[in-house]
Amino acid sequence: MTVSNQGVRGSTDDGLPADHAFVCDDCGRRWYYDRRSCPDCGRSSADASAVRLETGAVVATTTVETTPPDVRAPNHLALIRFDGVRLIAQAADGDLSPGDSVRFDGSHRLREGRDRTDPRLVAVEDP
Amino acid sequence: MDPSATGSTGVRVAGVGMTPFESDSGRSLTDLAAAAAERALADAAVDPADVDALHFGNALAEALDESAGLANALAAALGLDGASADRIENTSATGASAFHRGVEGIEGGAAGGAESDRTDVALVVGAEKMSAGDTSDVTEAISRLVHRREYAQGITLPSFGGLAAGAYLGRHDAPREALAAVAAKNHGNAVDNPVAQFRKPIDVADALDSPVVAAPLRLYDCCPMSDGAAAVVLTRGGDRGDDESVADAADPDSETFRAPRVAGIASATGTHAVAERPDPLAIDSVRTAGDRVFDRAGIRPDDVDVACIHDAFTVLELIELEELGFYETGTAWEATLDGDTALDGDLPVNPGGGLKARGHPLGATGLSQIVELVWQLRGDLPETRRVDGAETGFAINVAGFGNNSVCTVLRA
Ligand SMILES: [Zn+2]
Repeated sequence: MTVSNQGVRGSTDDGLPADHAFVCDDCGRRWYYDRRSCPDCGRSSADASAVRLETGAVVATTTVETTPPDVRAPNHLALIRFDGVRLIAQAADGDLSPGDSVRFDGSHRLREGRDRTDPRLVAVEDP
Repeated sequence: MDPSATGSTGVRVAGVGMTPFESDSGRSLTDLAAAAAERALADAAVDPADVDALHFGNALAEALDESAGLANALAAALGLDGASADRIENTSATGASAFHRGVEGIEGGAAGGAESDRTDVALVVGAEKMSAGDTSDVTEAISRLVHRREYAQGITLPSFGGLAAGAYLGRHDAPREALAAVAAKNHGNAVDNPVAQFRKPIDVADALDSPVVAAPLRLYDCCPMSDGAAAVVLTRGGDRGDDESVADAADPDSETFRAPRVAGIASATGTHAVAERPDPLAIDSVRTAGDRVFDRAGIRPDDVDVACIHDAFTVLELIELEELGFYETGTAWEATLDGDTALDGDLPVNPGGGLKARGHPLGATGLSQIVELVWQLRGDLPETRRVDGAETGFAINVAGFGNNSVCTVLRA
């Protein structure tokens, strides 16, 4: 699936769904955290596409007990390495460990009071 | 002698002062700032009328609905009529950034221009009143420091601390006690520091028993929210290329003897989105600012006698010590358990209690590190909390979770 990046820049919403990264149309470089241009070739991010992330590997995890008022407590978080990007996202539960394989799944309100929903990280069984 | 090779900025810290750091001071932001400033001016024996420039560091005034125009209000309160004045903001490294601007202002003035336009005396003040908002307001304001896609996931600064701590312990096969030992050391160092927020000693077991904040980090691994202010007076003088000044500085009876020299100062930004770092235990801004300041000061980490490290979380003290080159990667935890970073160790770290126990009023923290180093280098502290014979001091103040770092080297 490819999602247009148009309308993301400068808007006040949270941008792409949590399971999508940007990909440069020119050189194929991926990035997750919005930026104005491709870090490799410099092409404007207005020309970038979005790509859905498949399977990643857990690098580190934490469970946060003290969270902002509109965020669940405890908040299970994991630092994940996907193909071409690294990101920190909410996990469905606190059972992930470094080295585990994960993918995004489901539809959850990550901060209360927002009208959008996003997937969370879940473990995938090794084939 | 080539002045560029001598490792000094030509700026001295002529006086320092600070308020106690506390959870709720009951004082206004301007009151706190003015109290610290007056102590620094008195310590330097500088008349307010002789101050050329005021730099005021404050991070959260807008977020907590305090007044704008802070530097001007402080200038008026102190009677600095006619001085230039500005306000500096760099989140949790605000204090050190204000100090950096003060040093640059004096150095820049030395490069040329009319004498009447020069900055010879700069007053740098950092203050924060985090009790101005309720805890959730402050937490919200601080949580806005992260990238918006991080914010969308509910990620806070302690979240990064938890991830880094888990990664550190796992990779280096370090025991959980290593983090608790950082907390116990820094709390112990604050016991005899009258300006520290927490002066009760804790032991490793207390730290291990405290509530979980972001696993594996617990309450005693995290710095508090604080009110407080710190200030320094900077003056020109003591260039190392100037033989007379060197002689003067070496004379304990001379006026300048008690004014440590700014041997180097450097700032650097790093990756803003923490997850994008190729290694969660590598903080580019810390490494870059450290390399720069050691280069400018013409010293190596080995030459440092006392260090103030930005221990917003215990694990950061370990990571920063390694990134700065004080210890090999993966060894700072052992050094800590061995007592190497204790007050009587090879490299005393955070002798005033650090952010952990002295407190962390964002705008004041970086300046409180400079105040502590000046007290240590002048040797005017009671024996129970003095690093004997310290001649070279190092400080690092970090914004966010490593978005921006400011390093300073002071020499007695
Ligand atoms: Zn590209």
